[in-house]
Amino acid sequence: MIEIQGLTKSFNGHKVLDNLNLTIDKGQTCVIIGRSGCGKSVLLKHIVGILKPDSGRILIDGKDITVLRDKELDELRMKMGMVFQGGALFDSLTVGENVGFEFIEHRKLDPRELLEIIEEALCMVGLCGIENLMPSELSGGMKKRVALARAICMKPEIIFYDEPTTGVDPITADSINELIRSLHDKIKVTSIAVTHDMKSAYRIADKIAMLYQGRIIAEGSSDEIQNTQHPVVYQFINGLAQGPITETLEQFR
Amino acid sequence: MVKLFINIGNKVLSFLYLMGGLSNLAFQSFYWTFAGPHKKQRILEQAQKAGVESLPIISLVALFIGVIMALQTAYQMQRLGSEMYIASIVALSLVRELGPVIASLVVAGRVGAAITAEIGSMQVTEQIDALQTLATNPIRYLVVPRLLALSIMLPILTLYADVIGIFGGYLICVHKLGISSSMYLNITFDSLLFKDLFSGLIKTIFFGMIIAFVSCYHGFNVEGGAEGVGRATTRSVVTSFIFIISADCFFTALFYFIFP
Amino acid sequence: MIFGKTRLELKVGIFVFIGLVILVTFVLLIGDFKTWTSGYSINFMFNFVNGVKIGAPVRFAGVDIGEVKDIEFVFLPQEKKVKVKMIGWVKEEVKIPIDSTVWVNTLGLLGEKYVEIMPGEDHNNYLSPDQTLVGADPIAMHEMAELARRIAGNIDESIVKIKNKEGTVGRLLYDDTVYKELEALITDIRKHPWKLLSQPKEKPKKR
Repeated sequence: MIEIQGLTKSFNGHKVLDNLNLTIDKGQTCVIIGRSGCGKSVLLKHIVGILKPDSGRILIDGKDITVLRDKELDELRMKMGMVFQGGALFDSLTVGENVGFEFIEHRKLDPRELLEIIEEALCMVGLCGIENLMPSELSGGMKKRVALARAICMKPEIIFYDEPTTGVDPITADSINELIRSLHDKIKVTSIAVTHDMKSAYRIADKIAMLYQGRIIAEGSSDEIQNTQHPVVYQFINGLAQGPITETLEQFR
Repeated sequence: MVKLFINIGNKVLSFLYLMGGLSNLAFQSFYWTFAGPHKKQRILEQAQKAGVESLPIISLVALFIGVIMALQTAYQMQRLGSEMYIASIVALSLVRELGPVIASLVVAGRVGAAITAEIGSMQVTEQIDALQTLATNPIRYLVVPRLLALSIMLPILTLYADVIGIFGGYLICVHKLGISSSMYLNITFDSLLFKDLFSGLIKTIFFGMIIAFVSCYHGFNVEGGAEGVGRATTRSVVTSFIFIISADCFFTALFYFIFP
Repeated sequence: MIFGKTRLELKVGIFVFIGLVILVTFVLLIGDFKTWTSGYSINFMFNFVNGVKIGAPVRFAGVDIGEVKDIEFVFLPQEKKVKVKMIGWVKEEVKIPIDSTVWVNTLGLLGEKYVEIMPGEDHNNYLSPDQTLVGADPIAMHEMAELARRIAGNIDESIVKIKNKEGTVGRLLYDDTVYKELEALITDIRKHPWKLLSQPKEKPKKR
């Protein structure tokens, strides 16, 4: 279970997250939606402990990760996987070395066993037999799937997705959605995805939360969000140019 | 006028940020260096990049510097009729000063820039964040191998530069100025003392650290995509140059006063 | 990273190895192999050494045979004088006659000081380890200046005398009597060359 309590963070005096509260149950897939640059990725980076909040707590299975020491944090991170927006594969390493990175760094395994694990993870994302390629030889969609393979290689309990379907063609996007769904069904991981692709959100989410002006302004199941009366959420999910979000922007100008 | 003061203030402030950031990086790097354990393979890879691959360019520069030193001293010494001293002047200035500084500057330009660009593009493409989510400390994974490789390889590169520079001086003196080959070598090694050799080598260990810290720091602090990587690379090389030259000044003074 | 890259290790290995070879060679060449040749030490006593430093060469008949290892002061109660004792290291095979003379000399343009030993003639007795050779003092700069001043003073005095037409040289230069007489003589001889051949008449001896 992940509980976020009163999370606040500002960059250069600009408040990105403002007293944010959110709870995600074990085994649930939560999709956080919001406009580009509203702080979704920042929120995600707080939950994995890359960024430290100005105030507030983040409890993962009861442990406050904002005050953990590096060593304990790393232990916790072994149980987490993260898929970055652009894949963030290490381009000096081969695909196989990327996927097995955590094993190579933290576990002493004999090479044959390691190769098996890597192969299994790659097959799971439908990319069998490419472990000797370099990341630069892959297409954008393949990179994302390799990144997914890297995230699931250690059999994590929590997986974070940063815009999993952005920048890939609709067919690949759908196969990624399917992958996320099947991971949720098969190995019962807790997932948090950040996206502004509503199609993908409806597809994978048990729960959708809308992030707006540093707070969660609405949360609920796919159906609840689709039938919302909240004007801001309504404008966002229907992709309208006119509405309260753009009006506040006008006021700023 | 007010603008000028604001400018100066900003410059001072950014310098203080740089010093603070570098100290922080250095502290953490030393912590992880001593905490160990280290992956041998990663250090070797960096040693290959920093040391072995820098050898051709350093050899070329050192050879020419040796030739230039010999010709310039010959111009002066021929007036005094004491060409014998060319050998000792070339040897002393190469071993004490030029060898270490040339090796360091070439490595700062060649390897330091590459490190900044590599870490910078890793930062831009979120690979640094990815490292952290994979439970790997970026300083331990990226900085420590480079720090070790640079501070071990730079003294060795300096030794190469010393020998090749002396060889450059030898070529000019023996084939152009007609000094006998055994006499050149005798004078060279008679005039050198252990402290000359070791003061030159000890400096380069610190220069290697400077290059590693400065270039990693600028790499980690890249902002704003590919253009930012370019800007950081330039800044990294310039900062390394300034720091190396001022550290060299400091060390020369130190060795001059402590071991006269 | 998983798959071994031994060529890399080889390259770095060769690089480091050659570097170490250069280092060792440098150290040996700078160190002059002194640790490998055996030798013995002898002492030199001086009143004044004109700035010889530790490590200065010791030459025997103009050949480098060792170096100055240490310099210290000794107080000799019987002479009531502080002297400088230099400990010199010389190669084993060099035999120094006991009556050799030793002094501090200056080498080359930059004025490097070294210890010069001139071999003596006593080839039956050689200097044994830790024996002492008493050195002739080099002339200190201030003594040299004093000497030069005295010499210059003497010359100055003579020139003043000459100018005052005193002394033989002075008279020779300034008094033209000698010149006139010589000229008269030469004119006379030109006119009457036979005069040279003529012999003054001697009166026959009466017995």
